[in-house]
Amino acid sequence: MKHNMNNLTITNLNLQDKHGKKLISNLNVEIKAGEVLSLMGPSGCGKSTLLHAIAGHPLNDFSVTGDVSLNGKSLNSTPVEERNIGFLFQDDLLFPHLNVWQNLAFSLPDSVKKKDRKEQALLALKQQNLIDLADKNPSQISGGQRARISMIRMLLAKPCAVLLDEPFNKLDQQLRQEFRQWVFDLIKQNSLPVLMVTHDQEDIPLNSQTIIWPV
Amino acid sequence: MKNFLLSLIKATLLTVVLLISFLPMVPGLAGLISAAFGINPLLEQFQWTFSGFIQLFQFPGIGQSIFMAVNVSIVSTFLAVFISFSILKHWYQSAHWQKIENAIAPILALPHVAFAIGFAFLFTPSGFLSRLSSQLLDIVLFNDIQVVKHQLGLIIALTIKEIPFILFMSIALLKQLNLKQSIQCAQSLGFNQHQAWFKVIFPQWLPKMRFAIIAIMAYSLSVVDMSLVIGPSIPSTFPVMLWSWLSETDLSRHLMAASGALLLVFICIVLVYLVIFIEWYVVTKCKNWQFSGRKSIKLFDVLPTIFKHFSKNIKLGTFGLVTVLIVTSLSFLMMIVWSFAKRWSYPNILPSSWSSQFWKNELPYLFETFLTSISLALLSAGIALLLVLVLLEFNNRVIGKKTNTINKNTLKNNKHKHLLIPMILIVTPIIAPQLSILFGMQLASIYLGENNFYLWVLWSHVFFVFPYIYLSLDGPWRSYDRRFNKVGLSLGKSPLKVWWTIKMPQLIPAISIAMAVGISVSLAQFLPTLMLGAGRISTITTEAVALSSGQDRRIMAIYALLQTITPLIFFALAIFIAKRSGPLENRKAFLIFSNSTQKAEKNISKQASTIRHLQ
Repeated sequence: MKHNMNNLTITNLNLQDKHGKKLISNLNVEIKAGEVLSLMGPSGCGKSTLLHAIAGHPLNDFSVTGDVSLNGKSLNSTPVEERNIGFLFQDDLLFPHLNVWQNLAFSLPDSVKKKDRKEQALLALKQQNLIDLADKNPSQISGGQRARISMIRMLLAKPCAVLLDEPFNKLDQQLRQEFRQWVFDLIKQNSLPVLMVTHDQEDIPLNSQTIIWPV
Repeated sequence: MKNFLLSLIKATLLTVVLLISFLPMVPGLAGLISAAFGINPLLEQFQWTFSGFIQLFQFPGIGQSIFMAVNVSIVSTFLAVFISFSILKHWYQSAHWQKIENAIAPILALPHVAFAIGFAFLFTPSGFLSRLSSQLLDIVLFNDIQVVKHQLGLIIALTIKEIPFILFMSIALLKQLNLKQSIQCAQSLGFNQHQAWFKVIFPQWLPKMRFAIIAIMAYSLSVVDMSLVIGPSIPSTFPVMLWSWLSETDLSRHLMAASGALLLVFICIVLVYLVIFIEWYVVTKCKNWQFSGRKSIKLFDVLPTIFKHFSKNIKLGTFGLVTVLIVTSLSFLMMIVWSFAKRWSYPNILPSSWSSQFWKNELPYLFETFLTSISLALLSAGIALLLVLVLLEFNNRVIGKKTNTINKNTLKNNKHKHLLIPMILIVTPIIAPQLSILFGMQLASIYLGENNFYLWVLWSHVFFVFPYIYLSLDGPWRSYDRRFNKVGLSLGKSPLKVWWTIKMPQLIPAISIAMAVGISVSLAQFLPTLMLGAGRISTITTEAVALSSGQDRRIMAIYALLQTITPLIFFALAIFIAKRSGPLENRKAFLIFSNSTQKAEKNISKQASTIRHLQ
């Protein structure tokens, strides 16, 4: 993976709901490796829908036009699983039938051999000082720990860009600050372009671009 | 090309579902209507006629027979609903509820015929309770007139057997009702718990139980197997009368039976509307009682003193629950005792001599019958499960992928909802009289190929098992959080892999229970096996019913016992699987991986130190 080259480009993107109401008109942005672009706006204005459209998840009640490209390659006809875009939801969504290391092993690329998957998952946990959680099931660990595991799981899939859908929203104030810093550090280390949806000014990192609704 | 192929596979699968699960209703209804009006090519009758109906209404005792069927259906259904609600009201929020839930599950798996046989061992004039009263109190507790003529036995047996079904259906429903807060809120407004349940929970519970109540009503209206064991015989109830005409070699009776089967459908529709009307009247039309502020129920004020005394001192919920548990346990016990009794003359409380000879004698015959039952049950439940999975996944695609879980609002607002297969179509095999549908299916099977009896029986079992498996899985499928799929896809996994490794493992507990439900439904099928198998396919259930008309209670007990134990084994297996799969927090045995993790951790430490060394 060539992190330094990663950039996410959105060109002439339009989003409208099923009644024909335009939520986004002609959005043009380019997010370079290591940059964070924040989208702010009130609830229900289509922020999360935009992220889902970029990730490639089907949207039944909305129509999207325009182009999304990653490293110069258009993703419009690329299925969601082949886009290489990581998605961090508001909830951690750790798979409840798998324990922590199994959740991480799931996200490793298929090319990683079966016998190496567990070791790689444990290595990732060790690097973040979370090795004690390896055998725990998701319901046994705290909200903050779950959020971290979810982030590590996303990064283990080796994405070329990241979408964050209000990822700090459900954490309490102290955890939130800590986790936010940890996420942005990891993103910087991995040189990933990030598009983040939030409705809290404090979530936005310093010196980053912000788009405020309506777009 | 890949998308086209996938669409083609999906369309083919959906067509198979429709053909197997819904197609039988077409010949079923068409065959029934044409035969009722005299068109029956098999009997070379090609002229429309009303003579079937004329003969039917002139048949001696027909009015009483119809009245008895309707009476049994209405009384047992309303008693079951009323007692079940009282049990919920009294026990649902108590610390004992989990134990009650565990106790009702096996009763639910108990086939109707087996229960009827056990019930007969208890309540007939020579039954256990009569022996007990005769020995201890020197009185004869039951006689034929009380138990049979007034259909008391059938009504009580149906009521007791259906209470666990209503409780089971209510469990999932009450979890959606925000029950605790609603009761607390009503209590803070000055209502006691009993009043809060009636005024706040009942109006929400009743409409949601509509399908379950209709299913019970339809079943008790058209029940044949239980009526043959404990129902009245001179005259018998209407469905039993129809069944006996259909079994006769005199083909002229078939016209009358067809007209009767159509009349049964008509009566069933009237009763369905009666249920809907009562529910609408109580909950929507006459809703003043819900907000009148009155804290007692007027009905209780006008009750005779003895009933007031009863309602004050004995809680109906407790009385109902204890009755269900005691009667079912004693019935089961009676089956065991009778199966090993060598000599048990009246009025002895216990057999005077015991023997396992009847088991040894029956085992060679039992084996083949048992294998047929099991193969039919496994195949029909397996096929129905596959069809249900296809249909549920199709519904998921139709509803779309935007919503996290599917609920009433997401369905209401969905622009593709017209593509969904209507629920009424799915549950028709449950809410329509079985005898009437089977009449048409039997005609269709005779047209298509007379000799494939096993195949036709399997088809009919799949048809009747399908809605039960669908209803068991519909809830879990709807409440599955589909964002897990999105996470899986965004981690670069294919949709098939996501389905297989993320969705399925989480739903295995529900699938295993649904499979057990399907197996127990198939094992209990009497009419479909007999009618579509033309008497050539014997299962434990058909044998149990056939033996119930004979007088050897020991052999009857053996078959009833086997019929009881078989579904229980599958339920136990399903619970075993369910407790070891699905979300980890629900599993009993966890920590399978802990040893292997410790080994791998050591490797990691070595690996990490090597990395540090290289750096």
